[in-house]
Amino acid sequence: MNIDIKKVAKLSRLKISEQDIPKFERDMQSIVDMVDKLPDVSDLTLSLDRNDPMVLREDVIGASVKRTDMLKNAPQVEAGCFVVPKVVEE
Amino acid sequence: MNLYELTATELSKKLASKDCSAVEATKSVFDRIEEVEGKVEAYLAVTKEEALNKAKEVDEKRAKGEALSPIAGVPIGIKDNICTKGVLTTCASKMLYSFVPPYNATVIDKLCSQDMVMTGKLNMDEFAMGSSCENSYFKKTKNPHNLSCVPGGSSGGSAAAVAAGEVFLSLGSDTGGSIRMPASYCGIVGLKPTYGSVSRYGLVAFASSLDQIGPFGRCVEDVAMLYSAICGRDENDATSVICKYPRFTANCTDIRGLRIGLPKEYFGEGVDAEVKKAVTAAVSELEKAGAVVKQISLPSTDNALSAYYIISSAEASSNLARFDGVKYGYRTESFDGLIDMYEKTRSEGFGDEVKRRIMLGTFVLSSGYYDAYYKKAKLFQKRISLEFEEAFKGCDIIITPTAPDTAFKLGEKVSDPVKMYASDICTVTVNIAGLPAISVPCGKDSKGLPVGMQIIGAKFTEQKLFDVASFYEALTGGPQKVVHVPV
Amino acid sequence: MEYEVVVGLEVHAELNTKTKIYCSCKNAFGGEVNTNICPKCTGMPGTLPTLNKQVVKSAVKMGYALNCTINNVCKQDRKSYFYPDLPKAYQISQYDIPLCEHGYVDVLVNGAQKRIGVTRIHIEEDAGKLLHDDSFSGSLVDFNRCGVPLIEIVSEPDMRSSAEAKAYLDTIRSILQYLDISDCKMQEGSIRCDVNVSVMKKGAEHFGTRVEMKNVNGFSGTVRAIEYEAQRQIEALEKGEEIFQETRRWDDVKGKNFILRSKEDAMDYRYFPEPDLGTIVVDEKELKRLKDSIPELPNKKQMRYISEYGLPEFEAGLLVENIEKAHFFEDCVALNICEPKNILNWLLGDVTRILNERNCEISATRLTSKNLTHMIALIDKGIISNTAGKTVLEVIVDADVSPEKVIEEKGLAQISDTSALEAIAQEIIAANQKSIEDYKKGKTNVLGFLVGQCMRASKGQGNPTVLREILLSIIEKN
Repeated sequence: MNIDIKKVAKLSRLKISEQDIPKFERDMQSIVDMVDKLPDVSDLTLSLDRNDPMVLREDVIGASVKRTDMLKNAPQVEAGCFVVPKVVEE
Repeated sequence: MNLYELTATELSKKLASKDCSAVEATKSVFDRIEEVEGKVEAYLAVTKEEALNKAKEVDEKRAKGEALSPIAGVPIGIKDNICTKGVLTTCASKMLYSFVPPYNATVIDKLCSQDMVMTGKLNMDEFAMGSSCENSYFKKTKNPHNLSCVPGGSSGGSAAAVAAGEVFLSLGSDTGGSIRMPASYCGIVGLKPTYGSVSRYGLVAFASSLDQIGPFGRCVEDVAMLYSAICGRDENDATSVICKYPRFTANCTDIRGLRIGLPKEYFGEGVDAEVKKAVTAAVSELEKAGAVVKQISLPSTDNALSAYYIISSAEASSNLARFDGVKYGYRTESFDGLIDMYEKTRSEGFGDEVKRRIMLGTFVLSSGYYDAYYKKAKLFQKRISLEFEEAFKGCDIIITPTAPDTAFKLGEKVSDPVKMYASDICTVTVNIAGLPAISVPCGKDSKGLPVGMQIIGAKFTEQKLFDVASFYEALTGGPQKVVHVPV
Repeated sequence: MEYEVVVGLEVHAELNTKTKIYCSCKNAFGGEVNTNICPKCTGMPGTLPTLNKQVVKSAVKMGYALNCTINNVCKQDRKSYFYPDLPKAYQISQYDIPLCEHGYVDVLVNGAQKRIGVTRIHIEEDAGKLLHDDSFSGSLVDFNRCGVPLIEIVSEPDMRSSAEAKAYLDTIRSILQYLDISDCKMQEGSIRCDVNVSVMKKGAEHFGTRVEMKNVNGFSGTVRAIEYEAQRQIEALEKGEEIFQETRRWDDVKGKNFILRSKEDAMDYRYFPEPDLGTIVVDEKELKRLKDSIPELPNKKQMRYISEYGLPEFEAGLLVENIEKAHFFEDCVALNICEPKNILNWLLGDVTRILNERNCEISATRLTSKNLTHMIALIDKGIISNTAGKTVLEVIVDADVSPEKVIEEKGLAQISDTSALEAIAQEIIAANQKSIEDYKKGKTNVLGFLVGQCMRASKGQGNPTVLREILLSIIEKN
């Protein structure tokens, strides 16, 4: 299996410089080659375990968190909001 | 003898009997940090002032006769991927160079309510991805046994600090061996608990279905004490398991009849001869003490590494997608529009190993490849779990080497990711199957570097692991001594 | 060439739970920006989701209401994409095993019943909001809406017109209200829609190429969007152009849609099972309890009102829209002392007018089914006039007194005594001799005028039916 590094990088929102592409390609390829050697497991199936149910949360309102605490790690803040470069709404 | 050389349990007893104060113990630790940290470089942040204040508070509580936890006043270090309210939590990444969480991880809340004295935050491979601690953005931690060697990873700082006497106990996290492997390299004890027994809330996620927080110490009893303090069901973590969590002990004096399984796949070609020899010798000791040793087979072991890299990278690619320069941490200086901001921030903020895994994970989840990679790996996970289940029908514990080798030289494997990944070959199966495993020192190789023995149990059999490990420890001279670091 | 439109809808409805889907933040609309958030719903490092029990219950109820199979053992999945309103860069949703699937709903369209298939209903989290302000060079992000629980209801492509789509949406909305699981406030965006439209030649065996439209808010917007898109596709086909599988964005202000992305740029969402959450298991006992809690639903009610009581489709639809009014109607009918149609007219007429004026529900007044039906029965018997009935209603809305008592106190009883009324009629005819001639010339509508004059002379208490008969007999004798 060959990996299209540029495509995968785009999907990952990573910018890989042209000169780094061969290195990543080589590294990734060796990992994928290792993975490609996995033997057949088609005799098994994945199923959910009804005997292991998740505990659900009760619908009860909890303590609130101060906005200043929520915003203080943000690189850019304006009018109580996180700021991103201008986007055209989808 | 300096206070920092005591084990945590010895210190705990001295504190309880007021033979020494928490402030004295804490000062002793910070003196030791002053002395050797320049060589070892285990800490990313030292919280000396807060630690001394806390130690003073604990001494006052004790003076008033309050009932205190065994860990009260014991200095503990925390891996830097565990969120600490008001204290920088960077995951050793440029991406989170400035992140100060407004909340504590559940384990931190638990330890704080038991009067932990936190000494600081410990170095690691960036986002816990690595086996040598060399992937830290900030510094390279050294192995106290040989400063030109790596401490192992990813919890290298946590292991090195405990080995060097820079702290009594520490917490690490283990996704594919990140506690056990550095414990092995640094010659201390490290436990990877059963998946779901320690809350992951507040542990910055690498691979959610494999990550577990666990303790390091210089003896089994220390590890049992810290594990008792952090385990338990947490309603903030939907994957944490409801069951009875006792207070764990480590004083077993009889292992007669214990059935030990030795899986042949873990003693094969990829494992260093000296390591094999040390582990086999340790097993012989146990056999002499009355244990029954059986050769077993876990045939899927050879493929576990591939399955591990698919599952962990897939989850990592998703868990690390939130680092985008909007809510916290690093944002690139100049950019042209949203997508450019995302791409530059992430490319500049993450190191190469993290990028490699994000891309691998993105690839195996992407349209057209999911079944061939991710789904297949999940099926393999099931097979590996079934093999362990079967094996535990015939034995109580399984013993293997913790790592295929001993600590390697800094820089030795950085250029070859696959070679680096092979360091995890003995540990990943345990995470894949969600089992508990402990690494205990079992001698040294000809270079004087420690060898680790891994004891694996069925789910929620931590007590059995402590029993066997403590029995072996007592047989071989007791707790590990603080390593002499040439300064 | 005649074309047929094929429509499928994906409805996103916000649930009215107390807390968000994966954290204990209050689930509320509005509020100052970023005040209703916590480390969990904003996906801060290390935080984990915990699933709200009520969300599962509400979704299962909707599943039963739409005749679905309930997958009571299921899981959640991550749907990944980068966008500033999605703080984790993935949405926790459900992929291959939705909580509910294989259902249907019957709707009424112009008198005919139509069955629309429901492919699936799944639970997921809402995203935040982007705020744009021209005075500022960036966009602002408000995460208050992050983690608000949603159910996504996906229909089969079973609708063949915008009218059918409208009927489907109206039905879905009233069912959500009947189950009391969503506030259904359009202007607050608590129900949103993605619309899939294709066209095919009438009688064709295969559907045309499907186009997805995003950003369709409000039900009238949906109708406009479908009509616009169908017309666009028909015009393209008539010109011999090809329809491309693409996603378009509806602009309700401009009344047009624009291409958002083509099939080649289709998003790769990289779905995989959410590792931070375990298996959702709804046990049999709980399933039964939820199933038993489903009331008779508005669409079923409407059809029953039409067949059982002979109510007209449109009015029956209006009546069932408000669950309280429908229940009140049924209480009235059960007393069996007046015609269901008369009850309907009073409920939709004067009762609704009063409620609208007061902006309240029936339960906020003192009106009882007993008093209302008694009042109507008195009109039916000719004891009071319709006009007098309105006066009675104004009283019994605010006090639990018998209509008879109100009539007595206010002197509202009609005069049906023939001799008294004959005297009035004679008087009126004497004063309007010309109208008798007009009537005989064929201008029969003067009779109404004369009845009116008599009513006025009787101060509204004359029985108009009796008066009409008396007037006719006098005219004929003349």
